[in-house]
Amino acid sequence: MRAYLLALAAVAGAIAIGGVADLALADDVMLFLLAIMIAAIGGRGPGLLAAALSVAAYDFFFVPPRFTFAIADLHHLMTFAVMFAVGIAIGTLVQRLRHAREAELRARAEELRSALLATVSHDLRTPLAIITGMATSVRDGAPQLPAEQLEALDTIVEEARRLGAILTNTMTITRVESGGQPRREWVPVEELVGATLDRLDAQLAGRDVKISLERDVGVHVDPVLTEQMLLNLVENATKHTPAATPIEIAARRASDGVAIEVADRGPGLPPGPAEQVFEKFFRGPDTRAAGAGLGLAVCRGIAVAHGGRIEAAARDGGGAVFRVWLPGGLAPQEAIPA
Amino acid sequence: MTTETGETVLVVENEAPMRRFLRTALATHGFRVAEAGTLREAEEAATRAMPVAIVLDLGLPDGDGLELLRRLREWSTTPVIVLSARDREDDKVTALDAGADDYLTKPFGTSELLARIRVALRHARTQPSDEPIIAIGPIRIDRARHEVAVDGALVHLTPIEFRLLALLAAHAGKVLTHRQLLLEVWGPGSTHETHYLRVHMAALRRKIERDAARPKWLATEAGVGYRLRDASRSSDDLPPR
Repeated sequence: MRAYLLALAAVAGAIAIGGVADLALADDVMLFLLAIMIAAIGGRGPGLLAAALSVAAYDFFFVPPRFTFAIADLHHLMTFAVMFAVGIAIGTLVQRLRHAREAELRARAEELRSALLATVSHDLRTPLAIITGMATSVRDGAPQLPAEQLEALDTIVEEARRLGAILTNTMTITRVESGGQPRREWVPVEELVGATLDRLDAQLAGRDVKISLERDVGVHVDPVLTEQMLLNLVENATKHTPAATPIEIAARRASDGVAIEVADRGPGLPPGPAEQVFEKFFRGPDTRAAGAGLGLAVCRGIAVAHGGRIEAAARDGGGAVFRVWLPGGLAPQEAIPA
Repeated sequence: MTTETGETVLVVENEAPMRRFLRTALATHGFRVAEAGTLREAEEAATRAMPVAIVLDLGLPDGDGLELLRRLREWSTTPVIVLSARDREDDKVTALDAGADDYLTKPFGTSELLARIRVALRHARTQPSDEPIIAIGPIRIDRARHEVAVDGALVHLTPIEFRLLALLAAHAGKVLTHRQLLLEVWGPGSTHETHYLRVHMAALRRKIERDAARPKWLATEAGVGYRLRDASRSSDDLPPR
């Protein structure tokens, strides 16, 4: 907006100076060109506006017959063309320069963010490992401690684990958002599900987990990232639903790859658009279960990085279902020696 | 709780508090502990202290822990367990392929540490080819007769599945990388064809496990490889509840 006002002012200035100073026609042209150049620093739009206004004003006020838009001499058309050319050329150049600079700044900020996160992550992981180690070491070394103290040690270990999980999610989101291509390997969904449930063994103790996977179906993915995604989805379900309710995991081939579902019978999605649960730092209304609000954002980041997508929906009969589509299908066709 | 025989474990770790935790945990379980904070100290201690096992943090300040591992492997077969973070899978694979025996992901507790060390020590002491029959949990592998039984019932395996299972069983409790498994079972031409491995592992799980989607024995280490769980994983190796 300011750039357009500046364009208006520059042209008005040129008209005023040209009118008062009573210069030669060629000098008036120079004045207008100067006004256009000043305006074009604001970008292509202001440059174009200044060029149009200058052509009109120059024609009206200075080109004989004056105070009409009529043109007696056709060579003035050439002047008009040059005015437009200057406005567009300078405006475009300025815009391109500005974009280049913005991209560079963005890249530098991104680099800084990644470096910072990597350092922070390392500097936080080491103390976390020490806390976990020391707490387990005290617990294992003194089984005769009173029950509350053993419980306190367990809490320390559990909270350190949670912090570690938040760190991992933070690192993962930085990685997938930096736009790097994930590696692609064909991995059976069954293997990913098995590894995920194995890592969540403690949280899933006593939980009814129903698994229904299409036989031999696999995905073309980075196995570490995809396990992380499944882990977040299942952990999200364990956090937000009562322990007595089941969690269902299913996978089948779809028209555009493989669809993997994690469904629960909990309270369903929070009010509002379903998409919001994938926003960074979004937390549900149940504050007891609140984490850092990164888990599902990481899931979306990972799905998108693989060229896939994710959605959340209310489930018939109550509960929520999270569906991920990833590239994949049956095992690669080339001969597998048996 | 088992008490070892006062053998020395070398801890190569630059963070003093982390070293203290490792020292306490190992000493409590009867190991003597030699400590090194730098690569130089580590190389010196590896020759002087004659450790039975080495715990090596990959993130040493004065150089890569991998460098130490490679140099160590030129003259020693002492088991090495590397410590690394969750998102450093490539480092773990590199270390395992360079001769590390196992890894621990930070953070870990004393029970995991001791379980890894025990498995490594056991494998260092027994030659895998010694035993014609390996029994792990419900799985019984007769290597001479190429027969596998689960819960007493014979299971028909393809030759590839048998070789995979026998290999994992010979290293029970230890992780084997994709590359190591591909190299042993398919040969040097196929070390990048991880989908071969995954397809046959999936088939093997269906024959060995009660529920292939929740395997009890054939564990996946995402981005690293596979591990046949150790049946001797007794209650004191599991995280106390």
